[in-house]
Amino acid sequence: MSLVNKLKQSNYQIAIISVILIVVLGSWKPHVLVEGFQRACLYAVIALPMALILGIVGIINLAHGEYMMLGAYFAYSLNVYIGMDPLVAIVPAWIAFFLIGMASYRAIIKYVLGTPELNQLLLTFGLAMVLEQMANLIWTSRPIKLPLQYVSASATIGSFTFGTYEFVYVGAAMVVLVGLQLFLKRTSMGQAALAVGQNPRGAKLVGIHVDRTYLLVFSLSIALIGALGAIFMTRHSIFPLVGAPFTMKSFCLIAMAGIGNLMGILWCSLILGLAENFVLSFRGYAGWADILFFALIVLVIIVRSHQREVK
Amino acid sequence: MKKSRPLFYLIVLAFLFTLPLYTGVYVLNVMGIILIYMALALSWDMLLRSGQISFGMAGFFGVGGYGAALLFLNTGVHPLVSIVLGGLIAGVLAWLIGSAVLQLRGMYFAIVTLALAEIFRVIVRNLPDLTGGPEGTILPQAIFAGNSTYTYWLVLSVAALSVAVSDIFRNTRIHFALTSIRNDEIVAKSSGIDVFKYLVFLFAVTSAIQGVAGGAYAHIYGFVSPEGSFSIDFTLLPIAMALLGGMHSTWGPVVGAVVLGVVSEFLKLQIPYGHLMVYGIIIVVAILFFPQGIVGTVGQRWKKTVSH
Repeated sequence: MSLVNKLKQSNYQIAIISVILIVVLGSWKPHVLVEGFQRACLYAVIALPMALILGIVGIINLAHGEYMMLGAYFAYSLNVYIGMDPLVAIVPAWIAFFLIGMASYRAIIKYVLGTPELNQLLLTFGLAMVLEQMANLIWTSRPIKLPLQYVSASATIGSFTFGTYEFVYVGAAMVVLVGLQLFLKRTSMGQAALAVGQNPRGAKLVGIHVDRTYLLVFSLSIALIGALGAIFMTRHSIFPLVGAPFTMKSFCLIAMAGIGNLMGILWCSLILGLAENFVLSFRGYAGWADILFFALIVLVIIVRSHQREVK
Repeated sequence: MKKSRPLFYLIVLAFLFTLPLYTGVYVLNVMGIILIYMALALSWDMLLRSGQISFGMAGFFGVGGYGAALLFLNTGVHPLVSIVLGGLIAGVLAWLIGSAVLQLRGMYFAIVTLALAEIFRVIVRNLPDLTGGPEGTILPQAIFAGNSTYTYWLVLSVAALSVAVSDIFRNTRIHFALTSIRNDEIVAKSSGIDVFKYLVFLFAVTSAIQGVAGGAYAHIYGFVSPEGSFSIDFTLLPIAMALLGGMHSTWGPVVGAVVLGVVSEFLKLQIPYGHLMVYGIIIVVAILFFPQGIVGTVGQRWKKTVSH
């Protein structure tokens, strides 16, 4: 039972309190609300593929953020060499990273699936370092940002001005979330993937090709995160280390939502995104926003272990 | 074999202790770096023997470094005392974090430790009055006025300390407790081992060693900074060394540190940017193809030839 579900079931008071909080926040610091929402969707769309891999393939991919970083550099290279707009580059990035995901799975990930968790953690950590340093070697550690006109689009309501381009993350989160739900619930491949996630041996017994399902889910997740890299680089400057914090934040969200709970990730990323932007809005204390996710994850672990003891 | 062990240790130690007599400054400096990484690799492996994996070396290394440097600057204690205190601070911090996090183990613990370096870096950067903020803090003078023989002896004693602790853990009943936790936690619990207590204790001790190494490093270079002291190098290199040498032993990380330490001197010259990639590749290859490492693989061959 995930934390979020429990909160939902417990009573409506929490829902009412959070609505009040949002209204108060919206009238006091409206930009925190809007930007927090946009940031939350970015977190959600990064965490979703990681949750998919963890839930179905069953390994924690510490190189997750690095694949996004590579996707961003991929879009950058396409822009530099053939002048393709990063938002158009989503499609080639998706295809390229599907293949890269397949190659990674076939060459590396496959061999640690049955081994202790320790090996998987070490292996994906090593992979993350290789990808990071490869980017460092090819593109150097200099931050890169494309001069794009449309990213500074903004809208004004009364005296309150906010960036509208960042709503692209909201769109991306919705597309990925709805798409994944449809894929997992409606297609036979997705249902097979869910079955494999629940019980690989049982799935094998009823004739599901487990290895092929793992390959598909892993490649699909890498494709999603690679394509997201193309969107990410339109707004943010990129450098080899840009992905690493997102790996940890994604894990924080997955731990909060509970493994296998895709919808929960959206709610948890809302909490994280709003909280971070709330701290960011205080001048002089903005630097502390980056430790919020850590406080959250430690809190979740303490609550979880307490729950386990009570049981 | 068993009886000659203390003698063997003494000879190696005597040789290492008198090394400044035979070699120059450059070799001493390289040895110093190797020994620092050796201490880190050993402390990492000690925790690994209980089945827990920590990516937090860089974090505690930096905490030890900052602790030692700031104590030395603000209270004026002797640098050596401040190094020990820096290690203590790292140990106490690890004890607190471990008490909270080690209830849930495996990937939860691993990821929390992976975030530690980043978190400590953010904290250090945001307390400019105490730590000097993003620019870091420069000590008025390197320890022993930069005398390479003395600094080498300092690092040597840190490495010897970690070898000694590792050997104690390896040859007392702690070893059996840790191995049984790694193999099957429920069995360990039902044979009366307080798993949680052992793990927190171990995490605190290994982090204290990392803190001492960090304090020594800070005093040798006379400088601490958020980017330098919490660099991912201090996590990545020790792991690659321990994996290359062989996990779950004292000699594995030692051999790995020596081999990789020498190799990295060449790599730095050959590939100045991105030479860290090699360490990532070593980790991946070691996990996939020879999880036993050098010491384990050679040991097996040796046993085979002896039995034939």
